[in-house]
Amino acid sequence: MKIKFNIRRFNPDDSKLNEPYFQAYDVEVTEGMTVLEALLKINEEQDPTLAFRKSCRSAICGSCAMKVNGFSKLTCSLQVIPEYKKKGRMVIEPLANHKQVKDLVVDLNPFWKKIEKVTPYLTPMDKEHEERSVSEEDEKTIDQSQRCIMCGCCNSECNALEIDSKFIAPAALAKAWRFVGDVREGDKKKRLERLSEEHGMWDCVRCIHCTQYCPKDVAPLKQIEMLRSSAMKAGILDNPGAKHVEAMADSVRRVGRLDEAAMTFKTLGFLRSIGMIPFGLKMELHGKMPLPILFPKIEKIEEVKKIYEEAAKQGTEQEKKKEE
Amino acid sequence: MRAAIEAARAGLNVAVVTKIYPVRSHSVAAQGGINAALKETDSWEAHMFDTIKGSDYLGDQDAIEALCKEAPSDIMELERMGAIFSRDAHGHIAQRPFGGAGYPRTCYLADRTGHSLLHVMFEQLMKHGIYVYDEWHVVKLVAEDNISKGVIAIELSTGKLHRLHSKATIIATGGYGRVYKTTTNALSSTGDGMALALNAGVDLMDMEFVQFHPTVLPRTGILMTEGARGEGGFLLNSKGERFMEKYAPKVKELASRDVVSRAEQTEIEEGRGVNGCVLLDLRHLGAKKINERLSQIKDLAINFSGVNPIEEPVPVKPGAHYSMGGIATDNDGGTKVTGLFAAGEAACVSVHGANRLGGNSLLETIVFGRRAGLKAAQFCKDAKLYPFPDRFLKDASQEVAVIYERENGESIFKIRNEMNDAMEAHCGIFRDRDRLTKGYDKIKELKERFKKVSLTDKNDNYNNELLHIFEVGQMLDISEAILVGAINRQESRGSHYRRDFPKRDDENWLKHTLIYKDGEEFKIRYRDVRVTKFKPEERKY
Repeated sequence: MKIKFNIRRFNPDDSKLNEPYFQAYDVEVTEGMTVLEALLKINEEQDPTLAFRKSCRSAICGSCAMKVNGFSKLTCSLQVIPEYKKKGRMVIEPLANHKQVKDLVVDLNPFWKKIEKVTPYLTPMDKEHEERSVSEEDEKTIDQSQRCIMCGCCNSECNALEIDSKFIAPAALAKAWRFVGDVREGDKKKRLERLSEEHGMWDCVRCIHCTQYCPKDVAPLKQIEMLRSSAMKAGILDNPGAKHVEAMADSVRRVGRLDEAAMTFKTLGFLRSIGMIPFGLKMELHGKMPLPILFPKIEKIEEVKKIYEEAAKQGTEQEKKKEE
Repeated sequence: MRAAIEAARAGLNVAVVTKIYPVRSHSVAAQGGINAALKETDSWEAHMFDTIKGSDYLGDQDAIEALCKEAPSDIMELERMGAIFSRDAHGHIAQRPFGGAGYPRTCYLADRTGHSLLHVMFEQLMKHGIYVYDEWHVVKLVAEDNISKGVIAIELSTGKLHRLHSKATIIATGGYGRVYKTTTNALSSTGDGMALALNAGVDLMDMEFVQFHPTVLPRTGILMTEGARGEGGFLLNSKGERFMEKYAPKVKELASRDVVSRAEQTEIEEGRGVNGCVLLDLRHLGAKKINERLSQIKDLAINFSGVNPIEEPVPVKPGAHYSMGGIATDNDGGTKVTGLFAAGEAACVSVHGANRLGGNSLLETIVFGRRAGLKAAQFCKDAKLYPFPDRFLKDASQEVAVIYERENGESIFKIRNEMNDAMEAHCGIFRDRDRLTKGYDKIKELKERFKKVSLTDKNDNYNNELLHIFEVGQMLDISEAILVGAINRQESRGSHYRRDFPKRDDENWLKHTLIYKDGEEFKIRYRDVRVTKFKPEERKY
């Protein structure tokens, strides 16, 4: 079956082609052929100049992540025919949120720098040279996070990274949990403190894209949530992220709904809240500003209180069980 | 990376040069595990015996002793570095049975052991602040008067050639699976370091010994771990028989890889195959075990062959997997050239002899990587830094310029495909003089044609076609070395099976093949195997 591949190309060294453009290739595709195999076939039979990364071709090295029909995928484990039948097209582009360097190759240096930022190695609790006993459950806690192959799909799909290039981003955060969640790790608190800083784990907007597009089921958002709750349990609360969570919980407990204006003050403090005034005025213009003073309790606030009490009870019970 | 870490720990200024990113290296795909005698009821001597027997007595026994003796402490060291292993009910590192081993001594993390260990190595690289030249491909090892002076590498993002000046160089570039058409190896497993070393005046040892893994997916060559059989999987022929009962009545599917691959090939050639394959049946293990211990295998079988192993047997066949041969080194990675070291699959110490046991390759990279790093560090403390001979850089840039200037030559892909076909047809599991000679003639012809290949892509940045020309040139040298070794070894031992010489011949052939280059000619000599504890005996499973 012949399928048209539309590939977004770019070569900064070529004066004629130094703006990104699309090039179409007709590829004879056989049953079972993967997108990566089709790209290799283009290289061999039509155009050796098409640049892309590849290595293991079995979904474990992480080289060949690209955008296929708008979404980040490992091209080596994606079959052409089913994808084409579903989408009716075959558009290949480089990963998003990274600079296109040539054709389907992107600049991964920022990606590795972010990984380096989370001190990505174990700092053992005790220095003696003997095996630490690790229970099956302990291993399970970090197993998912350590499946990461560093392909970059999650960072490519990350909405927070799109607006803030300094954001640590899901790949590094999943890596961070791999150590914070490790029973053998000695520096958990220090790690959590650093992750609570600006551009850190609290900047995630929880859009779930990272988890949705991860080809290895690492579920970065789940790891981020575990980092956040570990940080709060460890008493690392003096930052806008943790304060926001507390303000939210407090608001619901008090009035049964979100008192957004009050939350802004609690999250950012007085001085930084002043900086939010222009944003507030804009909201007001669009009729979206909540009334700060008149914020009535909901009718069945007692029910909400019960939920809180029940949650607190269950939480303590779980902690007790874990200690046993 | 293990070598770099050890050298950095010893206080050396170390850099890693790699044509792909460190976590992309093909160790990442090692699935099954890493061997070590950890339990009191096991012993390093037993591990040593299994390895020697597996090697069909071609392994050097002092090297194997080091491998097996040092394995337990190296595993503990990995654990300290942060490696995650699957655990038993007591929280200790779990171990599973593997082919050719008399004891369940393979440590693992599900079916992702290589991935776990490679990422730990990368973490330690960052911990020690080791500089990595990402996406730099080495085009030349610079050795003058038998002394290593560094390397010349091309920066793939710009196409610029650089000299990297050093007291010592350690080659750890892995295997050459891509010489063959059906291979479990990555697209980047092109044996670069072996060919570079050969051309720098170093010997390649035992190149005729190519391991064919018994369970790979047809067409793609993707690996189904030996752990699948370790966990209890069966191999069936078209009649539904567990045919391994015939070939290895005692251990059946868990005989060593050469034995199982030959059995499969025989079944297929005698008409008891299923579309050129045999069947790997895991159904009786049940969904729970498959999902927990072999989840990657399940995904690979579904994504690449459209078969769910929980419901159906998976068609598999033998495919080129591992190079027992490589750069001849001593037990500390040292080569004939002063200051040039090698470790891992690129090297041949030799611990695998004529056939490697599953779970021993990751172990070799760790034990001998560490040893080579340490030795290189000791060497550098006393060695002097010789001036870099700039004529090498001039020659290299001249060679690259010539490739760019050539017009209307043949396509490199065509030459590569013909090489793949020739090696598959003439230098596979079953060999004889006639086939091998045909293969040799074909490679010689391709080498001539290779001199006239030209580029379609004349760009400098990320020129994958140029990179592939380097790779194919290297693989042609490797192919020739494999064939020369195979033609001359007139016996059958381990993975090297000659139909015209079907018996092992210890009297004449208990020795290593050494291949070196004299001008353009490949010359051959032999070295005796070092036998210490275990005298050669017949090998039966």
